[in-house]
Amino acid sequence: MAEAQRTGTYLQRFPGSSTPPAEGTESEQLKIIELEESTQMLTIKNLHATVEGTPILKGIDLEIKPGEVHAVMGPNGSGKSTLAQVLAGHEAFEVTEGEVLFDGQNLLDLEVEERALAGLFLAFQYPVEIPGVSNLQFLRTALNTRRKANGQDELDSVSFMKLAKEKAKQVDMSPDFLKRGVNEGFSGGEKKRNEILQMLMLEPRLGILDETDSGLDIDALKVIANGVNSMRSDDRSFIVVTHYQRLLEHIVPDVVHVLAGGKIIKTGGKELALELEEHGYTGLGIDDAEATG
Amino acid sequence: MTLAHKTPQVTLEPAFTPEGGKLLPQPLRHLRDIRSKALTEMVLPNRRTENWKYSSKYLKLDESLAPLTQGSGMAVGRAVEGAYRVVIRNGVVDRESSVLPDQKGVEIQRFTDLDEVTAQSVARKLDTVIDNSTTQIAALNTARIEDGLLIRVAPDTSVDHPIYVQCVTDAQQSGSNYPRVLVEAGNGSKMTLVEEYLCEGDEPVLVDAVTEMTLDSNANVTYIRLCMEPDNVRHVGATGVRMADGANLDSHAIGFGGDLRRHDLQVRLEGENGFARLNGIALTQNRQHFDNHTAIEHVVPHCDSEETYRCLAGDKSHAVFNGRIHIHKDAQQSHADMNNKNLLLSTNAEIDTKPELEIYADDVTCTHGATVGQLDETALFYLMARGVDRQTAASMLSMAFVHELVGQVPLEDVREVVDVRLNQFIEASFKETNA
Ligand SMILES: Nc1ncnc2c1ncn2[C@@H]1O[C@H](COP(=O)(O)OP(=O)(O)OP(=O)(O)O)[C@@H](O)[C@H]1O
Ligand SMILES: [Mg+2]
Repeated sequence: MAEAQRTGTYLQRFPGSSTPPAEGTESEQLKIIELEESTQMLTIKNLHATVEGTPILKGIDLEIKPGEVHAVMGPNGSGKSTLAQVLAGHEAFEVTEGEVLFDGQNLLDLEVEERALAGLFLAFQYPVEIPGVSNLQFLRTALNTRRKANGQDELDSVSFMKLAKEKAKQVDMSPDFLKRGVNEGFSGGEKKRNEILQMLMLEPRLGILDETDSGLDIDALKVIANGVNSMRSDDRSFIVVTHYQRLLEHIVPDVVHVLAGGKIIKTGGKELALELEEHGYTGLGIDDAEATG
Repeated sequence: MTLAHKTPQVTLEPAFTPEGGKLLPQPLRHLRDIRSKALTEMVLPNRRTENWKYSSKYLKLDESLAPLTQGSGMAVGRAVEGAYRVVIRNGVVDRESSVLPDQKGVEIQRFTDLDEVTAQSVARKLDTVIDNSTTQIAALNTARIEDGLLIRVAPDTSVDHPIYVQCVTDAQQSGSNYPRVLVEAGNGSKMTLVEEYLCEGDEPVLVDAVTEMTLDSNANVTYIRLCMEPDNVRHVGATGVRMADGANLDSHAIGFGGDLRRHDLQVRLEGENGFARLNGIALTQNRQHFDNHTAIEHVVPHCDSEETYRCLAGDKSHAVFNGRIHIHKDAQQSHADMNNKNLLLSTNAEIDTKPELEIYADDVTCTHGATVGQLDETALFYLMARGVDRQTAASMLSMAFVHELVGQVPLEDVREVVDVRLNQFIEASFKETNA
């Protein structure tokens, strides 16, 4: 466990680089070689999860390589948000079977905040309102915590403000929103922009977007898609949960999965999303009972 | 005659010592004598006293009834920039440490310096603002005063700086003291009064502090009461306010817990178009105890009151809120909003909250809400999902819970002082829980 964590850190410190640090003990170098063999950023094996004793995820297998965008689609109640929340570490869900490797670390052994610091980011389907904690204070605490964990200096308030304003502009958000309470009184669309703003600030390795497109007008959809696309790179991956092909026209996925009844029942290229748009889930031969488990 | 305490005659004895109040002008000494004698007839708070049921056991009047003398002179309070400052040490006004206004229409005097005529009028006024029948602790104060502070603001005068009254207890030895303030705000006058309770020394002491205020027509008073004493102080206090037509009261009662904290705030809206805002923050941890009792009397029509009290209780502490709103028969078109929100920071803490509404007029709007809750797990998860550890997330949420009210305090200097203590409080509250 301790070893896995350390090798994981190497990849975070030198994202995208296959060159190990020059010095290092023999065993450290060995570990790096092991990592290079495994090319996955995220590996989910046979993941089962329950909520209050009810099984929701019933054996999920998923592999995501660095740089890939995976779309996850599926009927309401099929377990998409559950999967996202389990990955982020929500306590309401109990993992009963399976494992998840994130950059070689056993993700399920990490605390919620450790997962975030390791580079996992969940854009919530329902972002939480926190009156009294300003967006700025929240962003600054989060960013500086992450920087500290990465061995970087904390940003002083001037550089932080500059960065926050720049990123806010990128998601077409007035700087006034930075001073307000976290999501306090934000409209649905403003909350979603705020999620993307946080992602732009925190620069995660893996971004999980849970229906970030729901409730967005066409312009906002483009703003958000541009935000995500600006972050795409060889060493950053995304899981995009959505009901609509429309988003995937802007954020073009490498792989599309269909999640139904707590399992991935079909995987394909971006054309699978088009197929679903045309024929619906029933076209795939999923009846309602199967969809909801 | 019922005597609450086991041996009240013995414990009350020091009140009758001939030296007590000997520096007061005759009319005030006379009033003091009357109250002292009445004490033997009075039921001091005990277990069976309904409005003291949670707090009487912490009073321990026997141990600390000996009044403290002026003290060593070490305790002087803190300096404040751009403000007037009066230091009351162990209940006696310390002229040397005080900075007083030299402004026309603003009169600040110690009781012991009052001329016969003024003393006469002060004596007539004391104990008429606070309802003594429910506030025994105010009667005890009058029976024990050694000195006091009279603040008079003439009609249409705006006091050009806030007035800080720092009541400092010099607790080198155990005992009690009785700070007393009387404020008379004339028609259309305007002032800010900050009462700051401090203590140096760590012997167990009782501080019984009473403030009475009368606001004449259209007077505008901001009242900030900061209970900043350490644990060894058992602080019982009462503030009474009577408001004439068009008067405006903006009250902020902020306190950190201790062995005992009790504050009774009584506001009487006696003239039409009056407005009273009552904000309060109580913070308790360890085994501290805090008890806020407020009472708003809507006596006449067309007055508004808005009350918001919040409390954070950690460890094994206990906080009490009792908010009474009484809308009299004639007080039509009254608007009264009362809100008390409490956050338990530990499963061992206890919070008792009780709104008491008595409404005898039919054309009024009156809202009230009282909640006791724990930190919101959903919000905690959201913060933690951004990399913030649980302890920091919990601190942020607790801070946010009371900070809205700190932000409403109209003096920056006070907000800063409160913030420093608040940060210490929050830090201490979450230190062990994460271990
Ligand atoms: N905390 C919870 N308590 C009880 N049931 C839950 C809880 N969370 C999720 N569920 C149940 O788990 C199932 C899967 O829910 P989930 O939110 O993962 O669906 P989803 O695929 O994201 O749906 P949608 O497309 O509507 O967002 C649903 O039947 C839901 O009611
Ligand atoms: Mg969902």
